[in-house]
Amino acid sequence: MAAATSINLVIPSEVRLVDLVHEVSQKLAELAGFSPDDALNVGLAVREAVINAILHGNKNDPSRNVDIRLDLPEAGGIQVKIRDQGGGFNPEVTPDPTDDEHVLNASGRGILMIRAFVDNVTFRFEEGRGTEITMVKNKVQQSGVV
Amino acid sequence: MKVNIRQEGEVSVVDLSGKITIGEGDVVLREKVQDLLDFDQKKIVLNLEKVSYMDSAGIGELVACYKRAKEKEGTVKLLNPSGKVYDLLQLTKLEDVFDTFKNEQEAIDSF
Repeated sequence: MAAATSINLVIPSEVRLVDLVHEVSQKLAELAGFSPDDALNVGLAVREAVINAILHGNKNDPSRNVDIRLDLPEAGGIQVKIRDQGGGFNPEVTPDPTDDEHVLNASGRGILMIRAFVDNVTFRFEEGRGTEITMVKNKVQQSGVV
Repeated sequence: MKVNIRQEGEVSVVDLSGKITIGEGDVVLREKVQDLLDFDQKKIVLNLEKVSYMDSAGIGELVACYKRAKEKEGTVKLLNPSGKVYDLLQLTKLEDVFDTFKNEQEAIDSF
């Protein structure tokens, strides 16, 4: 069994850095044994969470950081925690972007995508203390080898 | 993201390749479609065959292009969304909004 691996990234709130975080998380998911498609899903989920942290959490203020912690636990899979330094907001109150009245909205699809691409998503937020999202993609299922 | 625009009769076919994501592809897509609408080219096909993926900003820009075209009595249709892009259109229910084609000639003839 592989030893646990952790990587911590701290970035200022700059949209141009989103690609970098996406690529690191996608590559790490590949190292964890996920298929290229599942690794892309991890990268996309992290991308959306970082975009939310920059735009909605930190309000595009480059003096505020986004903290990204990527863990490959010994048991397998990948866990990613992303925390902003904003005022704290509940991302789950955004309207369902697939409802007829919202389907043509220009924004509001990030949480939907995150939930589709990883297995478990939890949010923690406190007024004035930022928002933290934890995403887990479970370990790769091994094919039955006799 | 790279963009090439071909004129097929009255229809503008916009060949896109790469990814449509925040701060890059979404801006390019917005500018190219706006240029077409400004020049009264209202029949637009976005060829997504070589687009590897989009993020929520890219999807949002796709919707914005659709709405801007509609405001000018134009139409934006989609051609050949790739695996991941098609998955995203399904997930967001936008496959019900856009006319989507697998064959370019069918897309052109549909206007």
